[in-house]
Amino acid sequence: MPGVHEFSIADALAAQVILHAPAGRRVREVEIRVGALRGLEPAAMEMCWDAVTHDTAIAGSVLVMDIRPWSLTCPTCGRVWESPVPFADCVCGEVAPRPTATDELDLVSMTVDDEDDAAEDAGVASGAASVGEPAAAPIGDAAREERAS
Amino acid sequence: MSDPVRTVRVPIAERVLEINDQLAEGVRADLTRRGIFAIDLIGAPGSGKTALLEATLQRLKGRRRPAVLVGDLATRRDGDRLARWCDRVVQISTGEGCHLEAGQVRDALGQVDLDGVDVLFIENVGNLICPVGFDLGQNAKVGLFSLTEGDDKAAKHPYLVNAADLILLNKIDLAPYLTFDRAGFEADVRQLNATVPVLGVSATTGEGFDAWLEWLERPLA
Repeated sequence: MPGVHEFSIADALAAQVILHAPAGRRVREVEIRVGALRGLEPAAMEMCWDAVTHDTAIAGSVLVMDIRPWSLTCPTCGRVWESPVPFADCVCGEVAPRPTATDELDLVSMTVDDEDDAAEDAGVASGAASVGEPAAAPIGDAAREERAS
Repeated sequence: MSDPVRTVRVPIAERVLEINDQLAEGVRADLTRRGIFAIDLIGAPGSGKTALLEATLQRLKGRRRPAVLVGDLATRRDGDRLARWCDRVVQISTGEGCHLEAGQVRDALGQVDLDGVDVLFIENVGNLICPVGFDLGQNAKVGLFSLTEGDDKAAKHPYLVNAADLILLNKIDLAPYLTFDRAGFEADVRQLNATVPVLGVSATTGEGFDAWLEWLERPLA
């Protein structure tokens, strides 16, 4: 699937999820937050997600995308609103509202089987993986702030 | 087992391209320490990225010490063209990859003698979308558009326009033969990026190159 940026992103994301997934616990859902600037197509992203996770430990997981929209500001009437596209006319008739958006691309969370159920299902020793452990290193925001300075 | 499986949500809060971004920071630190100004040149197939660099390298001879990394899906043609004008060219074959990543740039920089080099051009794979989101450790992103692509391409590629430090509009020598609305193109750019300079150039005739070469003289940020 060359030429689809969703594929590269799905590939990097899958590696990251597998790295963070607690051992022996099935990953049900993966939540990402994506700024509109990234131009991510949800349908293409879902297809790529299924393709890259196929035959991996996280096969069958559902990707939930929180796509942060464009914000449009009207220079004439001052109205500010959210839009899925960067170019749209204002209700006041202004044809050139100013579009702004973000480009974040963050792995927000994953939803995994509860420890007791997973242990029961897979025969995994209880306590082998700590739920809190992956959350202990939320390096994303700090790194971004550093980059922005 | 008839009970629904109980699940638990595990917060992560991490950038998806964290590994690429860390590699890019390493590249940037290395290039900055060497006093090399690095440009990531992004444009569509056929926009004239290689032609622009050929014409640029020709004019920089004796004035600057450039090196070039050139990404291409399969062939060595771009690298061979550029090697006529510069003795420090590394071709990066990306195979199926539609963009360069920081690790490829780091590896390619290991294959070129950077002593004395003061400007690095990284010609990305021909693509207006995928390359934009991957930091390579550059100091500036240059978005290359051309008159033959049509005047709507800035509006259709907001991420590149938003991220660009300079927009070059190539093939302005063809203006008499095309119906390219340059004012409309620039208005779209302005809406997405209020401060980015837009320079018209022709890699064929050299028109507009004085301003482009002057822009290249900007000091390291």
